Amino acid sequence: MNLSQIDILAAGVAVLAVWMCGVTCLKMQVWGLSGQTVLLSGICVLLGREEAATGMFILALVVFSIKAVGIPVFLSKAAERMDITRDRGIYNNSTQALLMGCGLLILGYFMTPKVAVPTMMNQGTAGMALALIFIGMLLMVTRRLALSQIVGFLTMENGIFLYGLTQTSGMPLLMEMGILFEALVGVLIAGLVMFRINRSFEHIDVTDMRGLRH
Amino acid sequence: MGGGELMNSLFLSVLHLINLLLLPLLLMGIIRKAKAVMQNRIGAPLLQPFYDMAKFLHKTETISENAGWIFIWTPRVGLAVAVIAAILVPWTGVLLPPGWAPATNFLLMLYLLTLGKFFTMLAALDTGSAFGGLGASREATISMLAEPALIIALGALALGAGSTDLMAIYSSPASPFIALLAGAGMVITALAELSRMPVDDPTTHLELTMVHEAMILEYSGRSLAMIEYATALRTCIFFGLAVQTLLQAWPVFHALPLLLHYAASLLGLVVLGISVAVAEGILVKLKWRSVPNFLTFAVVLSLLAAVIAAVQS
Repeated sequence: MNLSQIDILAAGVAVLAVWMCGVTCLKMQVWGLSGQTVLLSGICVLLGREEAATGMFILALVVFSIKAVGIPVFLSKAAERMDITRDRGIYNNSTQALLMGCGLLILGYFMTPKVAVPTMMNQGTAGMALALIFIGMLLMVTRRLALSQIVGFLTMENGIFLYGLTQTSGMPLLMEMGILFEALVGVLIAGLVMFRINRSFEHIDVTDMRGLRH
Repeated sequence: MGGGELMNSLFLSVLHLINLLLLPLLLMGIIRKAKAVMQNRIGAPLLQPFYDMAKFLHKTETISENAGWIFIWTPRVGLAVAVIAAILVPWTGVLLPPGWAPATNFLLMLYLLTLGKFFTMLAALDTGSAFGGLGASREATISMLAEPALIIALGALALGAGSTDLMAIYSSPASPFIALLAGAGMVITALAELSRMPVDDPTTHLELTMVHEAMILEYSGRSLAMIEYATALRTCIFFGLAVQTLLQAWPVFHALPLLLHYAASLLGLVVLGISVAVAEGILVKLKWRSVPNFLTFAVVLSLLAAVIAAVQS
């Protein structure tokens, strides 16, 4: 099987996302997110070397510093300050989530021919990006704590980013940076709101907040 | 049979003898010594398992009045099964001559080892002690969860090699992804099957936390020697298979001459043993409810390897 390095890195991102489904420790989830983003910036660097575009290297650096270092550090500090370590999950426990994540990865692989752009190289990564989006959605829907839902959202964002990187011929650098800063600001605002929620209700467990509806 | 073939088969026989007689207890000694180093103490000498074996063979056995023939026959069955599997499974990469083909089917080998485990579970119930029942039920749960991981991992390799014969599986090259994923799954499953951390602490003295030790609590003397030796053989087989699977990802591995192949496998086995000892020093034993979650990681790794193998072929 003749795999390029980009395919190997994309497979690593997808496997890390599946692993993230199965861990309940919040620090480990945040580390998984950080690891995914490091591999993504690696893909950026490889693409930049292929096309000899310096914009890609700058993008890789920015992605690394914001999404692989900045946001995970912020989230883990937030978790420490709110004194939460474990997330039990709402509808499924760790085992079911892990098996579902694996199933979504296999589903993403089999849907590759439908979502890949035929004129681009690295077709295999389209399936991995789709799987990453699905797994991000799974994490957002089935997690109990608001912090884990943010991690799921960022995983989905990683999937969209991976798809955009490998299946399009590149967006202008300014646009990519704009999207990244938007994600950063979104996470900061979400963190702020989380702190406020924690201060008011003493927890960030979303199942208990259903009582607010009535 | 010419002179060259005679020398070859003599050499293979010597390697098999070393595998069966020297390596199991030596590996247990290495693991214990590494664990002692992790815990910052000197620990027993490296050859302590050999001395223990000699000690057990001298002692008289005490058998409970309630025990029947299963209790007495289980250590013998366990040892016999372990010895057969240790000869037929290429856990150090030493392959048998081609005539053994139907006997080295991987399903046959796995279920042969399960037969030994079945007898051990029955013997634990035979004495009528409560801890035996506890250990047997826990061991049954763990085997039920660990079995799919091991079979799917070996099945992935079999798909890649095109045959279910263990000799054919371990002599044909495999894609690095399949080898690494299946190997990682097999390492985790081996930790569960051999009742090592984080699934079960092999050195615990608290019966309520035991899984494997609870089943062999009532044994003494010669039967205990047989059980300990069978455990050492099973450790070698499971760790050896995992190391062989992981080494398949190294492209040069199959092209090496026999002695280098053997030496590389032994080195891998020792490294895995030391890593297991380091992990035992660092990890905490899992809560019993979390053991299925832990084993699901192994199942997922094996599933991914199997899907890759199925799609490739």
